Amino acid sequence: MDSKLYLAENVLNERNPVTYRLLSRALKVHANRAKQILFEFHRNENAKKPQTVHATYVISGIQKAPEPAPTNGHADDEDEMMQSSPYLPSSMPNQDAASDSIRTTSIVLAREEDLEDAKSTFQSISTIHVYSLQPTALPDLNVLVDANREIANTHGQEDPLECGKQWGMIQNRNVKRRTGARPPPPAPPAVKAPAAKASKPSTEPTVPAKRPLQKEAFPAKTEATKSDELKSEPSSAANSQTSSKPSGKAAPAKQKGSLFSSFAKAKPKTKASATAEPAAHSAEDVVLDDASEEEAEELFPDSTDKVAAATRENRKEREDRLKKMMDDDDDDDDDDDDEADDEEMPDADEEPREPTPVEQPPPSKPAELKEEVTVQGGRRRGKRQVMKKKTVKDEEGYLVTREEATWESFSEDEPMPKKKPAVNVPKAKAGKAAGQGNIMSFFGKK
Amino acid sequence: MAPDAENYTFLCPPSKEEQEQEPVYRAPSNYNPRLTFHLPAGTGRHYQQQYGDMYFLRLAKLKPTVEQVATDAWDGLTIAGEKVRRVDRVLDVRQGELCWVAGTVYMHLPMKPNILEDLSRENFTSAPPPLRTYTDPSDPSLTRIMLEDESGRLRLTGNFLQSTQLATGAIIAALGTENANGDFEVIDIKLPDLAPQLRRWNGNAPENGVQAAGKEHGKIAFVSGLEITGTSSDTLALELLTDYLLGYTGFSGNDDNSPSLGSSKISRLVIAGNSLGASVIGDVASTNSGDAAAKKAQPKKYGYDASAYNAAPITRLDNFLAEILPSIPVTLMPGEKDPANFSLPQQGIHRTMFPQARAYSAPPVRGDEKPEAGWFDSVTNPWDGDVEGWRLWGCSGQNVDDVLRYISIEGGNSSPDKETDSDARMRIMEAMLRWRCGVPTAPDTIWSYPYQSDDPYVIESCPHIFFVGNQPQFKTATIEGDVPLRLDGDTEMTGTADDSDAARVRLLALPKFNETGELILVDTETLEVEVVRFGVFKGQEEQK
Repeated sequence: MDSKLYLAENVLNERNPVTYRLLSRALKVHANRAKQILFEFHRNENAKKPQTVHATYVISGIQKAPEPAPTNGHADDEDEMMQSSPYLPSSMPNQDAASDSIRTTSIVLAREEDLEDAKSTFQSISTIHVYSLQPTALPDLNVLVDANREIANTHGQEDPLECGKQWGMIQNRNVKRRTGARPPPPAPPAVKAPAAKASKPSTEPTVPAKRPLQKEAFPAKTEATKSDELKSEPSSAANSQTSSKPSGKAAPAKQKGSLFSSFAKAKPKTKASATAEPAAHSAEDVVLDDASEEEAEELFPDSTDKVAAATRENRKEREDRLKKMMDDDDDDDDDDDDEADDEEMPDADEEPREPTPVEQPPPSKPAELKEEVTVQGGRRRGKRQVMKKKTVKDEEGYLVTREEATWESFSEDEPMPKKKPAVNVPKAKAGKAAGQGNIMSFFGKK
Repeated sequence: MAPDAENYTFLCPPSKEEQEQEPVYRAPSNYNPRLTFHLPAGTGRHYQQQYGDMYFLRLAKLKPTVEQVATDAWDGLTIAGEKVRRVDRVLDVRQGELCWVAGTVYMHLPMKPNILEDLSRENFTSAPPPLRTYTDPSDPSLTRIMLEDESGRLRLTGNFLQSTQLATGAIIAALGTENANGDFEVIDIKLPDLAPQLRRWNGNAPENGVQAAGKEHGKIAFVSGLEITGTSSDTLALELLTDYLLGYTGFSGNDDNSPSLGSSKISRLVIAGNSLGASVIGDVASTNSGDAAAKKAQPKKYGYDASAYNAAPITRLDNFLAEILPSIPVTLMPGEKDPANFSLPQQGIHRTMFPQARAYSAPPVRGDEKPEAGWFDSVTNPWDGDVEGWRLWGCSGQNVDDVLRYISIEGGNSSPDKETDSDARMRIMEAMLRWRCGVPTAPDTIWSYPYQSDDPYVIESCPHIFFVGNQPQFKTATIEGDVPLRLDGDTEMTGTADDSDAARVRLLALPKFNETGELILVDTETLEVEVVRFGVFKGQEEQK
């Protein structure tokens, strides 16, 4: 795209601030060139009609000491000889006074109007460049932060390892990134893509969480091409959406983050035996299932402000549901434990949970209590074993309470024993096993 | 003064044909984190043990050392005709006898949080409210210093103590006599002093590839207190920092004027705690519902109230990390305000908090493999490790902040002069190294994991760079230990001592980036320090 056109459109028409980095991303040019383009545009437009475009500048160099300075520079930063405490062995190295002041350089952002003032605070300036252009003078420079977030939103999908060189980013030959876990591009797709049926990429060649040891020179290249393939493979927009987050995690990884992801992680547990694939996959499947039934993508709206407003309603609903879910959880202890495990996240390395095939919930059923039923003359009579508490005084005079299984008889008018929570088959337990399944169907059916 | 604007490279129209820009490559990083503060996961972590074990272990580890130091200094010493005697246990000190004894310092301070009191008031669930000091400046006599070992406690008195600074948990040897009150009048004390220091690269030459790179000066960057809030009030400084680290702005590598400043020399970024702004969660909670305000005071835990949880700060941090990680490896330590456990050692912030940046972290460990260092390494706090051959030991600031509360600063409750404050902090850092204990006041006034078989806070090998995050002001100094081999006592030092043999430590008190916008760079060859300050020029409009 023509740079002038782009700038005219964005700065003059849309009246958005454009930073050099945004420009560099949008036009796919080196950052340094972007700075020059901004400068030229600023000069030309203002030559045509003054005050149409305002600029901010970044000045880097060595600043003068702010106070009426002693020759040595900023007092705060002196590498000062400490008085060692009296009891300490005298140990101060005899550093010469020359090394006393610490070299302090500054990188300062200034408005066009303040440029000269800002410059005058510098003792020597190494570079000045245009940081951004905007149609009006900015009362609050922090607006530019949002302009930079724009980068993440619109250009987030571009792989920095691939494009970094083009942007002028400092390259690193040794960078190690796990393949298969391409981080989700933040937000924007969420709006367009009902990630829907194009899903279930369980056949996709995901490299499960294993990272090549990269001693070779250009590991990044191979990765890059890999993700390139992934990208080019599907043609439709929706497809490329899904492919850009091939390893799942995606949706929960969205802005709203950890709460949901902890659920997403919990879910595969129930499914564990069903899927022999790595957990990451199943997590993804689950997530995508969601997506197809109810706009799960919107479930995780990006938290930047614009979209947030749009989806506030949605969030309310979600919160309600979340709360409800939490309440459900509270009912069954066991689940809570799982929960706690997930949430506690004791430390980073303890994480095998995530990619390893997940453990199944232990089928812990307490010993069944027996029951015998005989039918006599149309009446059901029976004996059943129940746990009864008995309190006895033992030899030493202490009261001892123990539970004993005893037989008692019952007839059909009595309620069926199994229902009694007093009998140790915890209803909650049974309900719980089902309950876990239900979490899934919670997402599915509703 | 300033040359004409047209002279700057970037203040000119772009040349017609797009010239190929030479890519700049970052210096490689040699990195070997240690797992000193790594706690066993899940069921391996127990909280039933008594804290007493830690003090016992600390004393057992450091007593021989301090006794050695004291023997060297005091053996055969006679004062006023009386020969100094060594006493093994605190309880064996006899009245009127000139002797020395080693033990653990315990300080009783009027304002110190007291667990028993808290329990009786039933507010034991919340973190202790932050106090500026535990001492009572109006009545210094309430401060009692004691020396204890397995056998008992001995109260220390004497003018000498006023000129020293001590904190609970330090191991010292004290010389003096017991007076009529049963107190021990201290004449002099000795500390374990700096631990033996390994040479750079541990004495071994680094592997070939690295050595070549080691010839040029690289840099290690330190930053702390990013305090990202996720709102637009986040400072632009963070953006500028990102730009700088990525080489987009400032003194890029091809700048001839200041090649040493090229950020491509920075081989690693260490983030020392408090990456997230604390107030946000509280604020959101209080705006959402009234009773959530009650929770404000509580320490952060997992399991946020879903309605009160604001993901923006962590998302923003994740974006920041994901943005710089393709170019620079990052070591991230949690801090007081970060979403990690509150008690030391804080374990690394869990990677699931970083959906984007996690791609750069190490693969999860399976079984009992030794975890390998990730490109993005979320480590413990405190943390130690080898970077570019240097041993680093750092903490996010709790250790110094807490010891500072033991020390009465002149000026009482009014906030002390910045200068004296940061001097005091420097001295505390030095003292910690000489106590050989990085977090002396844990477990007394800093919450700590109850270690049972080891006290990792003891510094067994002196670091080359000792850094503490989240300090009010940047400050640095170099300290030196005694030359390890003393021939005839230190008075006869000939001055020929080989410099390289003396332990030399670079102390760094890292400022809060959020307040100062300062990034600290340490040269990997000379350990010299540089500051890069990011900021916004306050124009006339804002100054009004």
